[in-house]
Amino acid sequence: MKYEIIVNGARRGVEFAPPANESSRLSARIEGRPVEADVVRISRGVYSVLLGGRSLEVTVEEQSMKFASGLLVRASGREFQMEVIDPRSWRRGHGEGIELEGRQKIVAPMPGKVVRVLVEPGQSVAAGQGLLVIEAMKMQNEIRSPKSGTVEKLAVEGQTVNAGEILAIVS
Amino acid sequence: MFRKILIANRGEIAVRIARACREMGIASAAVFSEADRAALHVRLSDEAYPIGPAPSRESYLRIDKLMDIARHAGCDALHPGYGFLAENPDLARACSANHIAFIGPSPEAMERLGSKTAARQLAARAGVAMVPGTQDTIETLNEAGNIARGLGYPVLLKAVAGGGARLYLEKYLDRPRHIEIQIVGDAHGHIVHLGERECSVQRRHQKVIEESPSPIMTPKLRRAMGEAAVRLATSAGYTNAGTVEFLVDAAHNFYFLEVNTRLQVEHPVTEMVTGLDLVKLQIRVAAGEALPFAQEDVTLAGHAVECRLYAEDPANQFFPSPGKILSRRAPSGPGIRLDDGVYEGFTVSTEYDPMLGKLIAWGQDRAEAIARLDRALGEHAVTGIKTNSDLLLAILRDPEFLRGEIFTRWLDDRLPSLLREGQARESDAVAEDAAILAALLQFTGTKDAASAGIAAPETPSRWKREARFEQVDRSK
Repeated sequence: MKYEIIVNGARRGVEFAPPANESSRLSARIEGRPVEADVVRISRGVYSVLLGGRSLEVTVEEQSMKFASGLLVRASGREFQMEVIDPRSWRRGHGEGIELEGRQKIVAPMPGKVVRVLVEPGQSVAAGQGLLVIEAMKMQNEIRSPKSGTVEKLAVEGQTVNAGEILAIVS
Repeated sequence: MFRKILIANRGEIAVRIARACREMGIASAAVFSEADRAALHVRLSDEAYPIGPAPSRESYLRIDKLMDIARHAGCDALHPGYGFLAENPDLARACSANHIAFIGPSPEAMERLGSKTAARQLAARAGVAMVPGTQDTIETLNEAGNIARGLGYPVLLKAVAGGGARLYLEKYLDRPRHIEIQIVGDAHGHIVHLGERECSVQRRHQKVIEESPSPIMTPKLRRAMGEAAVRLATSAGYTNAGTVEFLVDAAHNFYFLEVNTRLQVEHPVTEMVTGLDLVKLQIRVAAGEALPFAQEDVTLAGHAVECRLYAEDPANQFFPSPGKILSRRAPSGPGIRLDDGVYEGFTVSTEYDPMLGKLIAWGQDRAEAIARLDRALGEHAVTGIKTNSDLLLAILRDPEFLRGEIFTRWLDDRLPSLLREGQARESDAVAEDAAILAALLQFTGTKDAASAGIAAPETPSRWKREARFEQVDRSK
């Protein structure tokens, strides 16, 4: 299955199939580059990864916010802010299977900064499509469209926003 | 010896005291607030009693409730730990009124040394040097000039505490170190010192890393500082464990700062180099036993370094990071000691100090102790909350720290660059790939927990158990 992952603000395309039961061998393509690894889940959110001749311990923490969800991943002393975009949730819309109707205002769940704008005003978007990335509390989160429609209004890159401030309107 | 000790504290120090009680065959009674029912100190004590709502002024700071519990539980001694009521003479007095031994100094000695002003007067009489300056306030500019020339420039003009516009002069010390002397005295007139701890790595006057011995210590300076500390304690009629803090300048002049009339957070580094158990010693001398050794029997071996682990986010203005500890790998191995107050699954409360515990490493020399602490911090992996672990590692790897070139404002000065370096580490493509794969496994796994046969050669029954656990857990 193809996934898109935002890693510290940069998009990465990953082809990845969860391995069959009892196997810890894993084949993936990250940005088209083949990656072979041996991955074992140690406990909830803790993985042992053998990759590139190295043994790495990776911890994955889910950090959910009101309108987006992120993962804080640590490996070899490095910290990665990630968001996995599930191809299935793109079709379903916001991962909930419920598409909102009418003119929707998308507000900032907490104070932050718009670090990237992914669409343009006037553009048609699908439900679940990323609109912009905001950074709050050192975490980058993609804000997605709650419905398919047209982007009416959009915050600008670099803009600082307060909690509750309108980031986008999709009609 | 005592039959049962009431531990009037929480967190790692309450655990530390409960451990000493267990080793000595003394029953321990913990107290816990409404926020601490599941705390480690409750789980590791023989008995535990509720002491009230979460705010400490309604629980851990209530002398009346402590006395009720001590009487009800039949405790014949009370250990106050550090913080909370540890330096409150009223608790020591209440204990004595209730025929409970207070494991600490007498309330009188506490008052003589606990107040900074009283302690300075006592130090002056005992011939213990203080930072040169005026004891009295300055009236005129002329007077200030004369005194300043006498002290030698540069000097600091300081406001008298609570003194309105009154000012006094103090000699400015260039990059002083914070070095403190551990003392312990019995009720038979013996007081000894157990060497020093260097606690110069501080952030806003809060100690971050402590070690023993000090990298600049010489036998001569240790003897002089130790004797000064013992002289001051003797003049105050001090018993039990205490710490005399000094500032030390580059020329090895030392100046009395203050006395802490209790066990210190950083006592383990002294324990590691002396081989003594300070909590047990405290209990023994409080029970009337004589110190089992004399000054000349105290020997220091090797080097110990301690760091304080906090649930906080240094990258985000050191904001406390309370929450549930989802996973935790505790460090171990040669020379490592973890004095902790938490466990995997424990929820770090917003009510109290966010210290999780202390990690201590011992080595043959300073370099080995630091390398072991570095290694152990790498092993210590916590998820669910943020910790200051990366900052601690950055300090331990700092060239100035490694050379022992530290002073009381060193970390405050160095912090911005340490935090920057921590963020701007060279990229690691393999680590990023590994992180991506683990994140995807987690993502696909949590989407479908029941069939989470993800890449793990574990037995099916274990998997079912895990899946059930996760489902139960998520439903909360």
